[in-house]
Formats: sequence, C-alpha cells, structure tokens
Amino acid sequence: MSTRRTLAITRRLLQGFRRDPRTLGLLFGVPIVLLALLGYILRSGNSGPPTGVVNQDCGPLGGQVAAVLLRSTLIDARDMSRADADAGVDDGSLAGYVRLPCDFTAQAQVGRIQPVVRLEGSLPSSSAAVLQATQQGLAAVFAPRNIVLAPQVSYAHGGPQYDQLDYFGPAFVGLIVFFLVFVVTSVSFLRERAQGTLERLMATPVRRGEIVLGYMLGFSIVALAQSALVLLFSLYTLRVHSQGNVALVFLVEGLLAIAAVNLGIFLSMFARTEFQAVQFIPLVIVPQFLLSGIVFPVNTEPRVLHDISNLLPLTYAVYGLRDVMIRGDGLGAGGLGLDLAVVAVFAATMVLAASLTLRRRVA
Amino acid sequence: MGATVGTQPGGGPAAAAAVAVRGVRKAFGGRVALDGVSLSVRAGEVYGLLGPNGAGKTTLVRMMVGLVAPDAGTVSVLGAEMPDLAVLGRIGYMTQQAALYADLSVEENVRFFAAINGAESGVEDALRAVALDERRRSVVSTLSGGMRQRCSLACALVHRPRLLLLDEPTVGIDPELRVQFWQHFRDLAADGVSLVVCSHVMDEAERCDRLGLIRAGRLLAEGSARELTERAGVQRLEDAFLRLSADDGGDTGGAQP
Repeated sequence: MSTRRTLAITRRLLQGFRRDPRTLGLLFGVPIVLLALLGYILRSGNSGPPTGVVNQDCGPLGGQVAAVLLRSTLIDARDMSRADADAGVDDGSLAGYVRLPCDFTAQAQVGRIQPVVRLEGSLPSSSAAVLQATQQGLAAVFAPRNIVLAPQVSYAHGGPQYDQLDYFGPAFVGLIVFFLVFVVTSVSFLRERAQGTLERLMATPVRRGEIVLGYMLGFSIVALAQSALVLLFSLYTLRVHSQGNVALVFLVEGLLAIAAVNLGIFLSMFARTEFQAVQFIPLVIVPQFLLSGIVFPVNTEPRVLHDISNLLPLTYAVYGLRDVMIRGDGLGAGGLGLDLAVVAVFAATMVLAASLTLRRRVA
Repeated sequence: MGATVGTQPGGGPAAAAAVAVRGVRKAFGGRVALDGVSLSVRAGEVYGLLGPNGAGKTTLVRMMVGLVAPDAGTVSVLGAEMPDLAVLGRIGYMTQQAALYADLSVEENVRFFAAINGAESGVEDALRAVALDERRRSVVSTLSGGMRQRCSLACALVHRPRLLLLDEPTVGIDPELRVQFWQHFRDLAADGVSLVVCSHVMDEAERCDRLGLIRAGRLLAEGSARELTERAGVQRLEDAFLRLSADDGGDTGGAQP
C-alpha cells in the first residue's frame, strides 16, 4: 500500500475536474436547483386538490357547511354553479365537488343529511382529501346535534377499487420508456462520434437528414418493442386498470419513444464524451419527472410552475396516457387529440433540430 | 499543373489535377494550422504528404473531403470545388484511427460503407484486396490493430474511388503488412486511381511518385524524392527535409507569424 500512489490517483482525479466545469456545475449546481424546485412544489404548491362547492340549500345550514369547506386546508375549494362543477369534473380540472341540495336544512331537521359528493376519481389521494374535507365540514356544523351523516358519493371515473398504482402506472409507463430510450440513444450516437465513424460517414455522400432518420428508425423499432413489453406487463401482470383502447395507449407511448430518440440524438451533439451525455439525465429527466404531473398533479402546482409544466412534452404524454387508461377517452375527446399533437410536434421538432446541429464542416 | 503531366494512365488528354489546393489558410482559434499551402496531385499518382506530427497534414486531408472549410484559398477535388456532395462518392477516405463499428463483423462494416456509397457489388473485391475474406465473420472488437487497419482500408476502397486519401495508413502495422499495403497502393495507381498518403516515415516517402514536404502549416517543397534530395544537395530524404526546414526559418518552429 503506497500513500504516494494512492494520492497520485486522487490528485489526477481532482486535476481532471478542474478542466471540466460542466461536471463541477453538475455536482454543485444541479442538486441545489432540483431541491429548490422540489421544495417549491411541496411548500408553495400544496394547496390541495381543486374542489367545487355547490350550495343549493334553501335553508341556512348549507351556507354554514359551505363556509367551512371553503376555509378547509385539505382542499382548494371554490364556490360555483352545478353546471360549472359538472364540467370541471368532466374535464379533470376539479378533483370533485360537494353539492348541498335544496332540502339540505330540511334533511338536518329529519336527522339524516345526504350531501352529494361527486368525485373525478382518477387520483385516489385527491378523492380521499375531498371525502375527508366533507366529513370535517359536516362534523364542524353538526357535531353537537345527534344526526346521521350519509354523503351520497359517486365517481366520474375509476372508483373506490382504484388504487395508487392505477394513477401512477400510466405515467410511469411513459416515463420509463422516455428515460431509457433517451439514454441509450444519446450514448450510442456519441459513440459514433468518438470512434471516428461519424467523421468517416461525413466524408461520404450521405446527407445529415439520412443519418438522423436512419438512427430514428433503428432506435424506434427497439423503443416500440420496449413500449409494448412495458405496457403488456403493466396491464396483464400488474393489472393496472385500463378503461380505454390499448392501441391508443400504445400510440401515445410510441410517439413519446420516437420523441425521446430524437431528443437523445439532438442532445448528444452537445456532449463530447459518454460521461457528459449521461450528465444530461439530471438536467433533462429529473425536472420533467417533477413537473410533468407524474407525481404531483399539474393543477396542484404553484401558478409559476404551471406554465413550465405546460411546455414539457412529457406532461402531455402523461395527460394522454391517463386520459386513455383512467378516463377511457377515445380520439374524439378533445384533450387526447391535443396531447397526441403536442408529442408528435415535439418529436418532429427534435428530428429537425438533430439534423441541423449535425454539422458536416468545421468552419 | 495539368499541363506538366507527361503520361496519363487512364489516357484522358490533359486531365485536370486530381486535387488542386490553392493558397489555403486555416487557423483554429489563434493557432495557424495551414499557412498559404498550394499543391496539386496528378491523376494516377501516389502523392506523399510528408511532415512531422502537427504539421497540418490531417487538416489538409480533411479539407479535401470537405470536413474543414479553409479561411482563405480553395480546394478542388476531381474537378469540383469542395465541399461537393457528389464528388464525395468518388473519394475514399481512411482516417488515422481505424474508424470502424467495433460491434459489427468485418464484412458487416465493409457492407455498411458499401451501402452508404451505393456500391454493394464491391464488397467481395474489397475483402480480397486486404486479404480479410477468411476473417469476414470476425467481430472488429476482437481483431488485432493490423487487421483493423486492413478492414478500414477495405471500407475506404469498397466503392472503387478515383481518389484515395490515406491518413497515416501504415501506423502500427507490421513490416510484412506494410509491404502488402504499398503493393496494393501501387496497383491502384496503375489502374489510374490517385492516392494521397500522409506519413511521417521517410522510407515510405520514397515509394511515392511525388512528395509535398509540410512543416508547421507551410509547404516547404514539392517534387519526387530524387528531385528533393538533389535540390538540397544531400543523399538522404531525411537530410533534405532538415535542410529545407532550416532554409524555411529554422528548426525551432519560429516560422509562425
């Protein structure tokens, strides 16, 4: 055991870092940025699921319950009409609503109150929050009196049998494919550069677009096979519920995989080594993981982050996958068409960007 | 240039130079890589670019395939000013490192570059030319350095180019293989193919029809090995190189502006 040799290795490593500001930036800058982002989402954004309060009570008690609900910290409640509330549950912008019917005060006098709770149902934890807030609101007003509380609960999608995996499954199916395809493509394209074959290829009549499309086709075949496997495993082994057409789920996943292939090619243009290519993972994948609604629903994020989330392609893929698998949407539903279009446009933009950054000449 | 050509193998009357470099300058950042280089390669000759490492040989060759744009001057190849995508199909380029797909077999590599150039019919000939037809199924990552060089040459030859650019083709290969390589280069030249061979090995230079001596980005002299030794008044090419370098501005590299 020689101290001198050991220290020589240590010194050699540190010398290398000094000449690689990107790695230093990654080691010291990225954790701060990512933790700040996570803190911001969890501390400022945790406003609870958006919930409607529809007070139709002809007597005074409905107003009291509504007031308690609007103050609740479990949910982000707003007063609204029944029509707006139904629309909100339909398009997924509300986690649910609580309706206090016209005879609410009359029910209380009989001793059995039955507010109507309508839940969107795709995220179990949001549904639970709405139910809990409702219980608390009723208890706050009626606790002193001897009354039976019997909310009439119904689900627009899913239902009590849906668990967390049904919510996270579709999003993770997308994330896993996006992540792995991106890494494999970027490292592989970089190898083409490092082993000198790209230089050799550039000295032939091949066109840049031909290289990018050739890569895209090759990796897309592998990526689509992977997507199919991931999907089949989720549906038939993990038994993740799927309401919609499996072919549509595969379509969203396939487009996402093609987008990831081209993102990988595009970003590998900015890396000189495989090491640097791997560094794009925390920069590209982690923020998308936090902001694309995979774990934290976009509509519970702070306002500022909404706009960022709405720029990320993965957000739309996640929406699309959930729309099909949980809500059972078809192509006719407005949301899914937009989701597919955004992912497709992103994939096409990346093909173009990759071709443009692949330079033949050193100026 | 073309007018001085005596005999044209291939028979074209007063064929244009295979490569014409005129007044080329190139700087990377502040470092001057090429400083006013002009030279011409005649059709059907083996032209040696001779000079030490870092002299600018690779930059010059990369200009001939349009991978580097000159700051000033022009490079014409097979009658077209570079860059020209169509002409690239008639150039074979062998890079300094054996640039191959390590996870493919010998034949798969050659077949790939054949397909890129639309010349699948040349695969068998190319494999035979470098004596790799027996090892065609070997995966490149399992090959020795010399076999990789041979495979690399096959990839450069497969589309039967009219101009072959070889950047240090015999570095790291054994003497026997080097003799085979040169025999092959001479055969190609006899068929009318023009070759540009970069080298820093003097005994290889003697096998070239003509030489361009290049040092610190400047072309010191151009001519056959005999012409160059006679002009410098010495016996050996190595001494001629040193003498001409000294005349150009000394050995210390002080020639840079």
